[in-house]
Amino acid sequence: MDDLQFRREIYADPKSKSPDIQAAKNTDPAKLKFAQEVDELDDKISNALNIPVPEDLCQTLILRQSLASHQQQKRKKYIRVALAASITLAIGLTVNQLQFSHAYDSVGDYAIAHVNHEAKYFSNDAEANVPLGALNKKMASFNGSFTDSMGDLLMAEFCRFDGIKSLHMVFRGKNSPVNVFVVPQSKHLSYKTVFDNHQYNGIVSSTNESHIIVVGDKAEPLEQWQLKLQNQLRWSA
Amino acid sequence: MATKQVRYEALVKALHSDLYRYAFWLTHDRQVSEDLVQETFLRAWRALDSLKDEKAAKSWLITILRRENARRFERKRFEMSEYEEATIQDVKSTNAEQEIENQWLRDKIAKMPEEYREPLVLQVIGGFSGEEIATMLSLNKNTVMTRLFRARNQLKDALEDEPMTRGIQNG
Repeated sequence: MDDLQFRREIYADPKSKSPDIQAAKNTDPAKLKFAQEVDELDDKISNALNIPVPEDLCQTLILRQSLASHQQQKRKKYIRVALAASITLAIGLTVNQLQFSHAYDSVGDYAIAHVNHEAKYFSNDAEANVPLGALNKKMASFNGSFTDSMGDLLMAEFCRFDGIKSLHMVFRGKNSPVNVFVVPQSKHLSYKTVFDNHQYNGIVSSTNESHIIVVGDKAEPLEQWQLKLQNQLRWSA
Repeated sequence: MATKQVRYEALVKALHSDLYRYAFWLTHDRQVSEDLVQETFLRAWRALDSLKDEKAAKSWLITILRRENARRFERKRFEMSEYEEATIQDVKSTNAEQEIENQWLRDKIAKMPEEYREPLVLQVIGGFSGEEIATMLSLNKNTVMTRLFRARNQLKDALEDEPMTRGIQNG
């Protein structure tokens, strides 16, 4: 290995373990001396480069990390709670929407659908087992009361009339049960005074606070029912 | 989690000094170096799972630090060449004679062109081979070896030329 090449390589890497370098050092004392000089230089360089490191740096780094990951965990927890809350809210809104949304925009449509839906539970031959007192207790919610019995009352229950809390009464009719709804006034349903479909007729009368809806089959004299209701219903407000 | 913590602390203990020194020779500023090292280790913590080979840890960290340093320049352009001698002063001086020489040499190293200094720091402090330095700096190995040669050559010449003025400058 020529001198220049040797010097270049030693300068570039004084700690070189290359066999050529080793062989050159062993055979040429001048090269060995040069290599030792550069080695000394390198020690000096190394001393100079190895500036003192702040004593607390190591601790600081570990502390910073544990603080950071603590923060991160807190953030994660917060995100989880927020996520759970959002999901709960979304489910709540959905359920609410499904339960209370207005699927019908005309009271007639809804009344007929309601009657159809429940028709199988009511038979005209069923026992009339709702006394006037019990009915009036329910009617009190709508500020109304019956002065006398309207006929054979098969059932009187609160129900949701397209999302509006209403009273649903089922009376014995001529051939099939007659349904009477007391529905508080509400903006979203349009009221026609009469409605029908192939099976039922319906008739609506209104007071200040409520609509009274009567639904019965085609053979039922609904006007008579309406008249009876007007005579016997008293409104307190 | 616990093992990640253990790995991290081991990494900090083993490598924070080298990383700090590397940062210092990159920035010439102790405070900036500390900040850079802290940022580097925080990033390292977040990405620790991606470090598969512990032997590669040092070059991995140095790569992160270089990137962080580059980011610093994107944020705020401050003059790299503006190096203040005061910041480089070493407060600890055990052996006065030796310290004077160290100080003198540090001054020379600091004033050396960046392209010579960085491979030298990586070789002497980092203990990296020519190939490794070439990979880290995206250079070819011959270029790295030439720069290392020139770096030492400059320092050697400086040491030989200025032994007299050294004492006067620093005394």
